[in-house]
Formats: sequence, C-alpha cells, structure tokens
Amino acid sequence: MRNISPVWKGLLLLVIAGAIGYGIGLGLDALISGALNTSGPVGAAFAILFAVTAFFFGIYGYRGITRGLVYQVVGTLLGALLITGIRALMGLDNIFGVYLFSEPAWVVGALVGVVSFLFGVGVVHDWVQWSRGIDTPEHHADEPGWEKYFGVSLDHKVIGIQYTITALVLIAIGGTFAMIFRTELAASQLQFLTTELRLFNQTGPQIYNTLMSLHGIIMIISILLGISGIMNYAVPFLVGAQDMAFPRLNAFAYWVSVPASVLMLLSLVLGGFDTGWTGYPPLSARAPVGMQMFFLGVFTAGWSSILGSLNVIATVVRLRAKGMSAMRLPILVWASVATSIIALTATQLIGLSFQLVMFQRLFGMPFFDAARGGNPVLFQHLFWFYSHPAVYVFVLPGLGVISELLPVFVRKPLFGYRWVAMSSLGIALVGFTVWAHHMFTSGMNEYLRVPFMYSTLLVAVPTGVKFFSWVATMWGGKIETPTPMLFVLGAIIVFLMGGLTGPPNAAIALDLHLHDTYWVVGHFHDTIFGGFVFPFFAAIYYWFPKATGRRMNEFWGKVHFWMMTPSFFVLTLGMMLIGLRGMRRRIVDYDPALGFDFAQLIMTIGGYLIALSVLIFIINLFHSIKHGEKAEGNLWNSRSPEWQVPSPMPVHNYDVPFEVVGEPYDYGLKDSKYVEFSPNGQKHIEFTTEPEVQPHRH
Amino acid sequence: MRRHFIIVGILVIVMSVLIYIGLDSAGLMPVVASAQAVDVDWMWNLEVIAMSFLFALIVAPLTYSLIVFRRRKGDTTDAEHMEGNTRLEIAWTIVPLFIVMAYAYLGAINLAATQRVDPQAMVVRVTGLQWDWTFEYPSVNGVTVVSKELHLPVGQQVLFRMTSNDVIHSFWVPEFRLKQDVVPGRITELRITPTLEGSYKVRCAELCGTSHAFMENPVIISSQEEFDAWFDVALDEAVTASQTPEGRGQALVSANGCAACHSINGAPGIGPTWFGLIGRTEELTDGSTVVVDEAYVHESISAPQAKIVAGFENQLMPTYSFTEEQIADIIAYITTLR
Amino acid sequence: MGTMVHTHDNKSMLSQGILIFIYLAILTALEFFVAITFNSVVLLVVVALVKAALVIYYYMHVYKLNLESEVDDASYDFKAGTNRLGLWLFLISDAFVFAGLMVVRINLLGLSRPELNQTLGLAVTTVLLVSSFFMNRGETLMRNGDRQGFLKNIALTFILGLGFLLGVVLVEWRLAIHEGITPSGSTAGAAFFMMTGMHAFHVFTGLILLAIVWINGRRGLYDVKSYPVEAAAVYWHFVDVVWIFFYPALYLIGTAVH
Ligand code: HEA
Ligand code: HEA
Ligand code: HEC
Ligand code: CUA
Ligand SMILES: [Cu+2]
Repeated sequence: MRNISPVWKGLLLLVIAGAIGYGIGLGLDALISGALNTSGPVGAAFAILFAVTAFFFGIYGYRGITRGLVYQVVGTLLGALLITGIRALMGLDNIFGVYLFSEPAWVVGALVGVVSFLFGVGVVHDWVQWSRGIDTPEHHADEPGWEKYFGVSLDHKVIGIQYTITALVLIAIGGTFAMIFRTELAASQLQFLTTELRLFNQTGPQIYNTLMSLHGIIMIISILLGISGIMNYAVPFLVGAQDMAFPRLNAFAYWVSVPASVLMLLSLVLGGFDTGWTGYPPLSARAPVGMQMFFLGVFTAGWSSILGSLNVIATVVRLRAKGMSAMRLPILVWASVATSIIALTATQLIGLSFQLVMFQRLFGMPFFDAARGGNPVLFQHLFWFYSHPAVYVFVLPGLGVISELLPVFVRKPLFGYRWVAMSSLGIALVGFTVWAHHMFTSGMNEYLRVPFMYSTLLVAVPTGVKFFSWVATMWGGKIETPTPMLFVLGAIIVFLMGGLTGPPNAAIALDLHLHDTYWVVGHFHDTIFGGFVFPFFAAIYYWFPKATGRRMNEFWGKVHFWMMTPSFFVLTLGMMLIGLRGMRRRIVDYDPALGFDFAQLIMTIGGYLIALSVLIFIINLFHSIKHGEKAEGNLWNSRSPEWQVPSPMPVHNYDVPFEVVGEPYDYGLKDSKYVEFSPNGQKHIEFTTEPEVQPHRH
Repeated sequence: MRRHFIIVGILVIVMSVLIYIGLDSAGLMPVVASAQAVDVDWMWNLEVIAMSFLFALIVAPLTYSLIVFRRRKGDTTDAEHMEGNTRLEIAWTIVPLFIVMAYAYLGAINLAATQRVDPQAMVVRVTGLQWDWTFEYPSVNGVTVVSKELHLPVGQQVLFRMTSNDVIHSFWVPEFRLKQDVVPGRITELRITPTLEGSYKVRCAELCGTSHAFMENPVIISSQEEFDAWFDVALDEAVTASQTPEGRGQALVSANGCAACHSINGAPGIGPTWFGLIGRTEELTDGSTVVVDEAYVHESISAPQAKIVAGFENQLMPTYSFTEEQIADIIAYITTLR
Repeated sequence: MGTMVHTHDNKSMLSQGILIFIYLAILTALEFFVAITFNSVVLLVVVALVKAALVIYYYMHVYKLNLESEVDDASYDFKAGTNRLGLWLFLISDAFVFAGLMVVRINLLGLSRPELNQTLGLAVTTVLLVSSFFMNRGETLMRNGDRQGFLKNIALTFILGLGFLLGVVLVEWRLAIHEGITPSGSTAGAAFFMMTGMHAFHVFTGLILLAIVWINGRRGLYDVKSYPVEAAAVYWHFVDVVWIFFYPALYLIGTAVH
C-alpha cells in the first residue's frame, strides 16, 4: 500500500467505498420499500457520498477536506433521520416518501450536511474560539507542498489555487455531461436516452433534461469559482496587500463551495430535475427531489460568491499600497471591484427566488402557483434580476485579464486606461437595469418591453469602449504571441462574436423568433468562452510561473489553442445556424424533417475536440508543476509588481513593501517605474504567530 | 502610419461586404409564412449588416496589427509610448451611443409593425398542456370545434388567446417567427397573419418537462375554401359526438390532452395505458393492489395523487376541475377501450 | 435638529440617543395615526424613510465609514475600520433579500394587506424600537468605560429582543393562523409568514450576537475601544431598520383583506 501514489490509492478507495455505499443504499431502500431497485436513487446517492469521501481519504487521510466530507455525510443522515423521526411522531403518512427519505428529510439533511462540513473541515474553528473569548494566532502556518491545498489555508494564493482547481474539476464534470447529451443529439431520434431507459428513477428524456440542466449550472458555478480563483490569487498582490482583508472569511467562502458541489451531484441521482438551470416554476414546483438539491446547491454556492466579493471590495478599499490611487490601479482590480459589486448584491435575489420555490414545495406557500393567486412571472423577475447581472460577473474579470495582459505582450500602454477602467463600472451598473430582456416572450406587462430594449442596448457602449481600446493598444505595438497572448487574442474575437449576437436578442420582435432557440445557446457559449474560458486559460498560462516557478509547456499550450479555437467556432456557429432555422433549446430530440442531422453531427465532433484539447491542457498543467521549464524571474518582462519579486511568491507576498510611483502600463517610456520597493511603502498588516490581545470580529 | 490606416480602412470595407454577402446568401431564416415574418426578417437583415460591419471593424485592424506590427526577431525594445487620445475615446463612446439608440428606436417601430391589429381577426383559443396543444375555434350554435391540429385560412389575421393548464409552454411556429409563452393563470395573446399555404408545426419552445421535445402539433395553412370545408366536417363531428356520453368523454379527453400521457392501445407512456383499464389489477406504490373499477377511475381523475400506480412515482398527473357529469362521460369513454 | 451633528463626546451621545428615540416614537405614532385615518401610502413611505435615515445615521453611525485612519495598518483602529466596512458591505447585501421580499409583497398583494391584529403589531414594533434605544445606550456606555451599565443595557436589549421574537413567532403567528391566515392558504398568508419569518431569523441571529457580546463583556474582554460591541449594535439596528419598512408594509398600507 505504501508504494502506490496517493491518487491511485484514492481511486481504489473510491471504487470500493462506492460499491459499499451502493450496497448499503440498496439494502436500506429494499428494507423500506420492499423492492430491490438497482437503478434507483438511494443506492446511487449513498454510492456518491461514500465514494467522494473515500477518494479524499485515500489521497489525503482523515483531516481537512476528508473530515469535512465525513461530517457532511453523517450530518446529512442525522438531519434526515431527525425529520423522518419527527414526521413519524406527528403521524404523517408516507414517512418515507418515494425514496428512502421524504422530501423535507432530504432538504433538512442536506442543510445540516453543509453546516457539518464547515465544522468538519475546520473553517469556523477560529470564529467559534473568538466568540468564546479565546484568542487564536492571526495566521496559521500552512503545510508544505501540495498537502496544504486539501485543508484550510488562510493564504490568498493557496485559496486562489484551490478555487481554480475546483473550477477545473467542475468544468470537467459539466463538460463530460455535455459530451453525453451532445452524443445523443448527434443524430435525430432517441439513440441511448430512450423512453425505456430507467436510471435513478428517470427515463431517457428525463436524464437528458437533468444532464442538460446540470451542465448549465455546474458550468456557471465553475465560472464563479474560476473568477474567484483569479481575483483571490491576483488582487492582493496587485494592490500590494499581504493577504485579503478577511482571510478567514476568504477560506470560508471557498469551502462552502465544496459541499455545494456535492449537493449538485446528489441532485443528479435523487430523481434529477428537468427545468434547465433557470428553474422556472410551476415546473420546478413539481419536479422530483433533485430540484431541492439543485436549489440548495446554488444557494450554498451563492454564499461563496457573496462573501468572496465582499472580501475583494474590502481588500481594494483598505489595503492598497501607498500611492496606489484610483487611476493607478491595475485594470484587473477595477474589473474585480465592478464584478464584486454585482455579486455582493444581486446574488441574494437568486437565493431568494429559489428559496421561495423551496418553501412553496415544502409548506405549500403559493407564491408562484397561479391557481391560488400566485404569479409565475414574478419568479422570472427575481431570478433574472440576479442572473442577468451575473453574466457580467462572468465576463468582467475575464475582460480585465485581457486588458491586463495585452499591454505586456504588445509592449505598449493600454490605450485610454481611464475609459477602460470606467467601462467596467459602466457595464456593471447598466447591467442592473436590463434583466427583463430574458422575458420578452414571458407575458410580462407589455409596457416594460421597450424600455428594457433600450437599456440592454446601452451595454454595448461601454463594451465597445473596451474593444476599441484593445484594437488601439495593438495598433503600432511590437506584438509577441506566446500561449497566454494567443488565448487573449482568441478571447477578443470570440467575445466579439458573442457580444455582436447580443443586440439581435435585444431587438424585441426579433427576439420573439430567437428566444429559447440554439441561436441563444450559441450567443452565450460565445460570450462565456470569450469572456471567461479563454481569458481563464490565458490567466493560468500567464500566472502559472508565478505560482510554481516553472512555466507550462509552450508546444502543448499552442496545441491546446489551435485545437480548441476552430472546434469551438464549428460548435457555436453551428448552434446559431440551426437555432435560426428552428432548433429549440432543451430538447432531447429534434424533428428529422428539419434536416439538422449533419450539422448536429459536426457540432458533436467539435465538442469532442474541445474536450480533448481541455484534457491536453489539464495534463500539461499537472505535468508542468514538476517537470516544466524553470522560470523564476520576470518571465514576461512585465511592469506589474508581482513580477518584480522571485517566483514562487513568498508566503506574505512582498518582504519589502512597495510604493506606487508611476503609471501601471507605461511600456516604452524610458526610465519610468510603476512601483518602488522600500519600507517607505509600509501599508500592510504585521503578521504575528503569537496570540496577542486580539480584536474579535463578527 | 497613414498608409496603414488606408489599407485597414479598405480591408474593413471589403471584409464587411464579404461577410454580409456570405451570411445573406446562406439563407439563415426559415421560409416566410406570415406577414409578421416579413417585419422580423427586415430587422434581421439590419442586424446582419450591423454585425458584419462591426465584426470587420474590430477583426480587420486586429489581424492587420498582428501581422504588420509583430515583433521582429532580435528586437527587444518596447513599442512607441502612446497612452491614449481623448478625442478618439469620446468619439468611440458617443458614436456607438447614437447607433444603439437609433437601433432601439427602429426596434420599437419594428415591434409595433408586428403587432398591427385587424379588428376582423378570427379568435382561436389555444391551450398548452403537458405535452400537447389544443385549439378551440369560435363556437357555432353552442357547439365548439376543438382540434389538435391548427387549421388556418391564408391571408386572414388570427388572434390566439392562449393559456396553460399546468406549466409554462411557448407557442412557436418558426415560419411565423413570433413566439409567445403560454402561462398558467393568465391569457397571453399573439396575432399572426398566415401568408403561405403549406403545412408547418407549432413547436413548444419553453422547457415543460419530460416530453417537451415532442410537444409539436401540425399547423395547416390552406385557402379559405379548404379551411371552410375542414371546419364544416369538424363541426359535424363535434355535433354528433356531443350526443353520446362516450362521444362527450372523448371530446373532453382530447380537449384536456390526456393522450399526452395515456395511450389507448396499450403502448407504454408517461402514465398507465387506458387500454383494458377497467377490471385490470394495478399495483400501487404502497405495495397494495387494486382492481380498477369506476370508483377508482373517478378518484384517479378527481384526486390523482391519492393512489399512485407503481412505476409512476416520478410523474405527476395534473389535477383537473371536471364536473361530475364530465367525469362520468370520461369514464364512459374509457370503458369503451378494451 | 440643526445642532445634531455627529459627535464623539460621550455625554452628548447619550442624550442624542434619547432624542433620536423620541423622534422615532413620535414618527411611529404618526405612522399609526396616518394608517387609521386617511391612509396615504406616500406619507407612510416618507415616514419610514425618515425613521430609517435617523437610525442609520445616529444609531448605526454610518458616518464612521468615513473616518480617516492615516495611522499604521497594524493598529487597532485600522483593523476596526476594515471590519466596519466588511460589516456594512454584508448589510448592503442582506438588504437585497429584504428588498426582494418587499417586491414579492407588492407584486402579489398590491394595496391590500392581511388582516392582522393591530394592537399586537404596534406592541411588538414598540418593543423592538425600545430595544434599539437600550442597545444604543449600552454601546455608548461601553465607549464611556462603564462596563456595568453596558451589561445592564445589553441584557435589557436582549430581553426586549426576545420579547419581540416570541411576540411575533408565538403570539402573532398563532393568532394569524387562528384567523385563517396560513402559509399555504393564500398569497397574503405566504407573504406574511415569509417576511416575518425571514426577519425573525435575523432577530434570532442578532440575539445570539448579543448573548456572545454580553458573556464576553462580563468576562471583561472589552474596553473603551471594542469593535465587537459596535458590530453587534450595528447589526441589531439593521434588523430594526428592516422592521421599520416591514411594519407598515404588513400592518398599515392599503386595505386589509381576509
Ligand atoms: C457571459 C455572458 C454574457 C454576456 C457578456 C452577454 C452579453 C449580452 N447579451 Fe446575453 N446571454 C447570456 C450571457 C451573456 N450575454 C446568457 C447565458 C444568456 C441565456 C440565458 C438562458 O436563457 O439560459 C443570454 C441571453 C441573452 C438574451 C435573452 C435571449 C433570449 O433568451 O431570448 C438577450 C436579449 O437581449 C441578451 C443580450 C445581450 C446583450 C445585448 C449583451 C451585450 O452585453 C453585448 C455587448 C457587446 C457588443 C455589442 C459587442 C462589442 C461592441 C462594439 C464593437 C461596439 C459597437 C456596437 C454596437 C454599436 C452595437 N443575452
Ligand atoms: C462555462 C460555461 C459553459 C461551458 C464551458 C460549456 C461548454 C459546452 N457546452 Fe454548454 N451550456 C452552458 C454553459 C457552458 N457550456 C449553459 C449555461 C447552458 C444552458 C443550460 C440550460 O439550458 O439550462 C448550456 C447548454 C448547452 C447546450 C444546449 C443544451 C440544450 O439546450 O438542450 C449544448 C448543446 O450542444 C451545450 C454544449 C456544450 C459543449 C459541447 C461544450 C464543450 O465546450 C464542453 C467541452 C468539454 C469539457 C470542457 C470537458 C473536458 C474535460 C475532460 C473530459 C477531462 C476529464 C478528465 C479529468 C477529470 C482530468 N451546452
Ligand atoms: C402529465 C401526464 C398526465 C396527464 C396529462 C394525464 N395523466 Fe392520468 N396519469 C398520469 C400518471 C403518471 C398516472 C399514474 C400515477 C397516478 O396514479 O397518479 C396517471 C393515472 C391515471 C389514471 C389511473 C390509471 C391506472 O392505471 O390506475 C386515470 C384514470 C387517469 N390518469 C386519467 C386521466 C385523465 C382523464 C386525464 C386527462 C383529463 C389524464 N389522466 C391526464 C399522468 C397523466
Ligand atoms: Cu410545452 Cu415545452
Ligand atoms: Cu441577459
């Protein structure tokens, strides 16, 4: 046992524990319902819970994340049993419902599970101590090596990497789901998701709907974690801080996303849900229990977003280096602040909208039940009040990365810095006023439509400012094209396509044709890839040397780019084409008479090639950690402060604080400096490891 | 520099024209089968022009810079320092601002054009249900024609007044362009003037559960004479059917879309088949069994969640509000299925 | 009110607290009067806004966000400033939940409201208002260095807060259900239980914070500069501000329907 690598040990345990969990689940299920349902939800739910936990046990042992997961499993069962018991005492019939547990039992179980996870993993430990009047050291030393990533760390760089890796894992899961349903779509008629199929109590078409919905939401959560990764990793050292303003809150925000991801996986097996990521009632009020797991998962992940953005704003406001005035902030910091303003406030509304549906299901509160005076369209307003601004949460950090990296590789200042900085805020603020453009067909009040068209189109103006500035930055530069720059260029073109396909949706009458077709699917894969996926890859290739002291393999990086970009165009141009010609969204099968078979097949192949290129990227990433070419200095010849110190970065970023003495992007100006390292720049927290008389923060 | 600007200017123009011609000749939209589609396509064409131009406006100089301003081998110096140009920046804020406002204005006009009202329009009541459409025509002498197929005469405006029995659906005929959600608890309206004879499909465009993909019903646009002929036959059938309980039951079943879930020939479906239902022994989720009689069927219809047949736990049958006579009619109809 | 600028002088802060309380009481009475006489929605909204502004400025000292701390980053004042900003950001975020609930209420009920017990409504509102007064006193006394006074006032706040919570959850909910206003019965019932429930949940967490502050205060953990005391106070007043809007929304505006 000692000689095998932890990963293999983890995988081995995953299989064994999965099988054991499956057996236990089956047994319990059979005991209660009297029938053996091998493809039912209970066995699968137990298998997932056991397998995930055992996997981390195998690679990491019983601490950190493993302990969290064990607590979550136990908490879930205890919570569920508690409610089951209460219902039994109250004499409610149908105690066990359709599954092992009734819906209320699963909901409470899941909630208790999440809270237990947080206690188990240990992120709330210090707060509990403080509330008991006991002091704790301000900073805890991390374990050396890779092991620090599996437990609670307070270092923003570690947390940033934790976020990034979690985001990649979720992209892989959500992408795999996409591959499954894309395979079904490759030809008309039902191929393998047939109506006879029964898996987790779902028929083929239901499985399709569940996978499609989970693809959407898992990808969206992975974006939220991905941007948190970028922001957490980069913002503190870009502004010259030693850490985020609230390191514990930061760790907390990361760790809630882990139980949230587990809930998402549970929703797949607990009957699934067939509403898409938008979860509109009344459909979501009748969907199986998986719906509740989806709601709770999003709700929990939402807290990650809210608390993370709170931290970003506080860090930028309070912990900037000396001399870093508003107009000398790196552009990515501006973008992060704009993003955080949205995430901090609007996220509450998606939480509320989902909570109301949860309560409608649990307590029969008729918020969205038209038969009892409720209003289904109200849900859509609440939902989109978050979910539209959320799309700018997805892209603003990505666009920030583009603006941040472009000057480095063009060797020329960012053209019109002020306007670019302000355009992020502009997009964020105007973005709050446009949500109803998703509801042009919804039957909402007629007079709302035209004003929302105007406000929607207004967003094109600040977005255009960015594009024109990028073009002007490149004009007359001396352009280098290593891998990060390739992804920046890809991002610009792909996002342009996504952006330009936005105004057609905003023109109401035209949207009445486009709405809920693959045209819209094409539109948002373009904006999301251009605004998030490409910049995310660019950021990883760019800052990887900062984190590890080695660079990623250039050759495989270029293969990744040149494989992903064309296949991506095939996929999304295909989407838009068939969408215009009548392909609805969210359908498991399409009319062969429409003649889409060939296009669909090509798109599926494109999808597979994207997946392959991402796989290459993942292998390159992990391989380069140990075997990459050494790169400890200022690899990209950047002016940014983090590149002026050796890589990997010291624990508390800068041993000597810096003072800002010039403009951030003055490439090509002789003898100009952005930052100067001297004790003079002192504006940072002293870290002590000794307990001191310490403030209690609540 | 001047030379560069001129070349790029030409490139932008050439590229936008080429993209526009390409997109235009690709025939991206389905055939035009309604007056409203003409307006929508006009707007679409405007969009295509704008998209072609703006795409070229960004991509042409970008690609040009990438080639012409690439770093030469051995050059380690930075580019010429150039921070910005306020006048240029104001221009590229103000000009797009005007463009989008003009564009939104055109959008509003365009919307109004698609909503022109013909007071003579024929009113068809549309009901969306999981997972079927029903269409109700204006009644003649108290008898209403209810159809699963949408038959319409060419050239006459129809006003659809739509509602849903269960969840949200969306009425969409791609060849007509406009779509409108069908929402429980409210009536939404859509006006269409068919202009091209032929058969199409109304496709439900809002995810409405398991069989959303299959919620497609035929739409037949024909000349006024053909439409009248169809309507007369349908009316006769409706009159005859309304005379017997089975007939009324069958009409009710058809109007309420039960067939979306229940087959009448023994084929498996979302719900149990009705073939040979009376007298059959059903196993329930609580493990017990029942022999189906009229009382049980009555309960299944009036309180669907009271007893659930094993194997259908994950499907919810909607609750309907039928009168006692109506239920009796439905039972009479179901009894004939054996 | 012209003389009432924000002040750090402890004596005048105490008397300022009393003055603000009197203003709030008068405004609440006015609100109630408006509701039972000519029920003007505009006026009710204006009164609520004025009340909220008073609480936010004088009880929650929003101006402290502007305190310039040129001092060293490692200092207590600097950290307290950062914590203060964090708390306010959190409250802004939280306010969106309540704003959302308000939108739900307005959308579903419009100018009607559930028929609730007016006396009880006024009573719990008063209790919460008085608790805020003691909270303010407690906080100011601590800054004055008077630990005993601080403890006494926090305890009073806690008891009143508990009274409010029980008044709503045990008495009011029960009465409502008795009157036929149930969570599942109608949208009015649903909105009522959702709004009061969410608010009660915040009161509950506020009570936990108060308990922690009280226990730690008794242990002598706080001195003149104690940010946790301020934090608990700001949170408590925030819950108050929410009720300033919810009370008229549920009890006063429009006509009662059954
Ligand atoms: C990452 C995210 C992202 C971004 C950035 C955008 C950006 C925009 N989106 Fe998109 N959108 C989504 C993600 C995104 N969207 C998603 C996920 C959905 C579907 C959700 C679902 O239903 O599941 C959606 C759906 C959606 C709809 C609803 C469609 C429907 O369902 O019927 C609409 C309607 O107006 C819309 C419009 C726009 C507009 C106008 C922009 C603008 O911000 C674009 C602005 C950019 C440009 C215009 C290009 C650059 C500008 C210039 C070069 C300047 C000159 C330009 C002009 C003068 C026009 N989007
Ligand atoms: C980040 C956002 C994101 C991303 C990256 C993607 C990526 C992809 N998306 Fe998706 N998509 C959405 C967000 C996203 N999507 C959303 C929000 C919806 C709407 C859902 C709804 O309607 O509710 C949607 C819907 C959607 C549909 C419409 C479904 C329908 O309406 O019925 C389709 C159809 O083709 C599709 C396809 C794809 C494909 C082929 C990819 C490909 O790019 C995927 C490529 C594959 C991967 C990236 C994984 C590769 C990695 C591995 C295989 C490695 C595994 C190994 C290890 C663990 C080491 N997506
Ligand atoms: C959305 C799908 C759906 C629709 C539409 C639907 N049903 Fe059902 N029906 C079901 C399901 C699922 C069951 C089995 C579960 C149960 O007993 O509730 C069922 C069961 C029944 C049964 C009992 C059958 C048995 O074998 O025990 C009857 C009778 C019935 N439905 C009548 C109707 C009538 C009449 C209508 C239309 C007015 C209708 N159904 C519409 C889904 C549907
Ligand atoms: Cu009905 Cu989709
Ligand atoms: Cu949007």
